[in-house]
Amino acid sequence: MVKHLPNDIGGTGCSDDKIKIVERELYPWEKRCHALLDVLDYHKVVNTEEKRRGTENIGAEMADKLTYYEKWIVSASNCLLQKGIITPDEIAVKTKEVAARYNIML
Amino acid sequence: MSNDHNHPHNHAPIIDEEVPGYYEILEISIRELLIERMIISPDDVRKQVELLDSRSPVLGQKLVIRAWTDPAFRERLLANGNAAAEEMGITIYDDTAFTVLEDTPELHNMIVCTLCSCYPRPVLGLPPDWYKSKQYRSRAIKEPRAVLAEFGTIIPENVQVIIHDSTANQRYMVLPLRPEGTEKLTEEELEALVTRDTMIGVTIPRLN
Repeated sequence: MVKHLPNDIGGTGCSDDKIKIVERELYPWEKRCHALLDVLDYHKVVNTEEKRRGTENIGAEMADKLTYYEKWIVSASNCLLQKGIITPDEIAVKTKEVAARYNIML
Repeated sequence: MSNDHNHPHNHAPIIDEEVPGYYEILEISIRELLIERMIISPDDVRKQVELLDSRSPVLGQKLVIRAWTDPAFRERLLANGNAAAEEMGITIYDDTAFTVLEDTPELHNMIVCTLCSCYPRPVLGLPPDWYKSKQYRSRAIKEPRAVLAEFGTIIPENVQVIIHDSTANQRYMVLPLRPEGTEKLTEEELEALVTRDTMIGVTIPRLN
């Protein structure tokens, strides 16, 4: 039996699940995240397909909790880790450093 | 507009919260690591944000109005969306095939991306949240008329509704039907009718 990927949801919805028609501006970091992934695609570091697969591999539980661009940045970091472009240690050190600028403890 | 803010002040002052959450911190960190590694340049992301900001439904609107008022352009637009957009100075920067779908009195088109969020960004900008939502993506191809009704759009039963599922390489935009009684309107007046949602196909242009 062919299993559908978690994101392949065309036709699975039901009428009770109403569309939430709300307009909002993206947060600046969301737009930067979008731009970052575009740039990674241009530079052939992480392409659109890899990014999409990365968001599918987040797992159902996390996928429900994370917003659209939260999934993108998690996918980007996983792709970069898998390709050996950055290491887990580097991310740990850098996120602590960035958080400290805002007086946040990670 | 300065007199608009005249309600009694019983709410707390609105403070711009500058404290980032974890995922924003992750975004900043990854970007900085990539710049330090010289994989991307410090200017790359800012330039791309500028490009994204330069794209909005105003561009799609230009294509629609020109197609409504110039039959030869309409033909070119329907035959080759990429070439017609370039002709109007609109680059399809993401290198995707851009196909324009013509509404007729017998046919109504609507677009979706069931897999993720593919959208004609070069001519409409970034998609609204609902376009990327599970609800819209999972229901659009199954019960389009029910979905349309949630946007207040009732398509008569004798008009066929066709849903086009976008992909990473193939993007669509709807060329809506020009409403009757708009023959004498100026281009500016026509522009008001052509909203983003009419080019996604979830609403139709209406004279008030």
